[in-house]
Amino acid sequence: MTAIVANRLVVKRGEATLLDDLSLSFGATGSVALIGPNGAGKSTLLKVLAGLEAPNAGAVSVQGRALASMSAAERVRTIGFLPQHFEPHWDLAVRDLVRLGAERGGRPSGDAVEQALTRYELGALAGRRWSTLSGGENARVLLAMVLVADPAVLLADEPAAALDIRHRLDVVQALAERGRDRLSVVVVHDLDLAFRFFERVVVLVGGKVMADAPAAELLDDPRLDEAFGVRFERIRTPDGTILQASRTTA
Amino acid sequence: MRPWLILAAVLALAIVVAACAGHDWATPGDLWRAIGGDRDLRSRLLFDWRLPRVLAAACVGALLGLGGAIFQGVFRNPLAEPYLLGSAGGAALGATVALLVPLMLPQAVLLPILAFAGAWGATLLVLGIACVAGAVDAAGLLLAGVAVAAILGALRSFLMLALSDETVSLQIVLSWVLGGVQTPTWSTLGLLALITLGCVGLALLLASRLDVLGLGETMARAFGLDVTRFIAVAVLAGSVVVAAAVAFGGLVAFVGLAAPHIARWLVGPLHRALLPASALVGAIVVTLADAIARAALPPAEIPLGLVTAVAGGPFFILLLSRRLRS
Repeated sequence: MTAIVANRLVVKRGEATLLDDLSLSFGATGSVALIGPNGAGKSTLLKVLAGLEAPNAGAVSVQGRALASMSAAERVRTIGFLPQHFEPHWDLAVRDLVRLGAERGGRPSGDAVEQALTRYELGALAGRRWSTLSGGENARVLLAMVLVADPAVLLADEPAAALDIRHRLDVVQALAERGRDRLSVVVVHDLDLAFRFFERVVVLVGGKVMADAPAAELLDDPRLDEAFGVRFERIRTPDGTILQASRTTA
Repeated sequence: MRPWLILAAVLALAIVVAACAGHDWATPGDLWRAIGGDRDLRSRLLFDWRLPRVLAAACVGALLGLGGAIFQGVFRNPLAEPYLLGSAGGAALGATVALLVPLMLPQAVLLPILAFAGAWGATLLVLGIACVAGAVDAAGLLLAGVAVAAILGALRSFLMLALSDETVSLQIVLSWVLGGVQTPTWSTLGLLALITLGCVGLALLLASRLDVLGLGETMARAFGLDVTRFIAVAVLAGSVVVAAAVAFGGLVAFVGLAAPHIARWLVGPLHRALLPASALVGAIVVTLADAIARAALPPAEIPLGLVTAVAGGPFFILLLSRRLRS
């Protein structure tokens, strides 16, 4: 069963075309990394798939139903969205933030909140205020807020980009592992992490899909070099392949 | 539980102290006799004049605290205050018309009605402008609010210049603008109490969505909130609360800004707790300020807005600086 079908999406902002007749579909389970250079349309695509922005043309269907016809409550129960930047305006406590996520996701029970706190190792921090947390703790709170309601689909706009490498590993791995029994589509900036943890990689360039293949196949594809405008040296290690980029022209 | 008990106890104490305070100081015993139905002249004065005034002040304060908390929540800005969207200018214009233009109805009836209409109408106008401009967000509303306030202020100045002469004093307009709770009859007080309770209920309906909005617009939308529509609804609701406060208490300065801060320190920023706490803090502050306004320089009465600004300002700065240091 397919979870999401995006059919011929077009998004324009003034003169600029952000998504250009883009079609993609995702199964009910699996981990998908969205990669591409800056301005490729990754964040826009994610927002359209999550129903936060309406496309100028084309349509998205989720679990066989048109996204545009779903009520806000249904949409939130089905799709979890992790934004790139999150900074609450009020200095709420961790438990309150997670509880808000649970309420919006239609699982307002105290048990769900406590489970999420435990799962993301936030039990000891439950009473702490957001501003007193470290960046890694903030990222875990955001994960708990969005995943406490256990949505069938997770769309994440790499929330780990600003974290140090250990926390980035933790977060990206947690997002990818959700693909085992759910659908997890993640914008990933660190290509090594994308190829190492995700089953499928979609390369966006100029609002179009340039390549879409299992991670292992795409790794050696020359289109990857073309997409980013660099030459990749593929260095094999026992843990996987490392991509080292250099400029194509001297 | 503790902050709620403290707030309720302080409000009760403030009401007793304020009811005792005045040109002629009373004791709690006097109050007790007056409430108990004593027909002595002094008891009747206490019961028919001072007590309704004290309770009206508490209601006006509660409305201001509530309005401030709603507007700070909508704008996600601790500097927002209830008069932000033209309501002060609109209320002042309405009151100026009521005080200076001879109309059919008695002034005591006309004044609150026109003040309410002015305050609410101005905010509706601001919201309408923002809607037409397609900018129902914090920046669009604030800009429209500034423009409408300037226009209404100019209109009021014109009216004051055009209509005042030896028989109509500008002082009554000025004194209204500086805020002051009128002494209501018990039935008017009942109406005010009902309005206040209704406003608290209305605000609580917004509470959980204000919390979601506080997560930022992207996250709020991801959590299924129709941000634009909710901002419009919350501004409408907030403007009713503020217009009610203005109708019964004039333009009382500063309470709507400070009360939500104090409440946030006591119960935290979650709106389901913050809104009622802010109402209680506002009630305490205005009850005490009104007592000072009546009792400080008898037999004259100081405009309430002056008391709240002069007494509340330094207190607020002190709290703020201690808070920032810790």
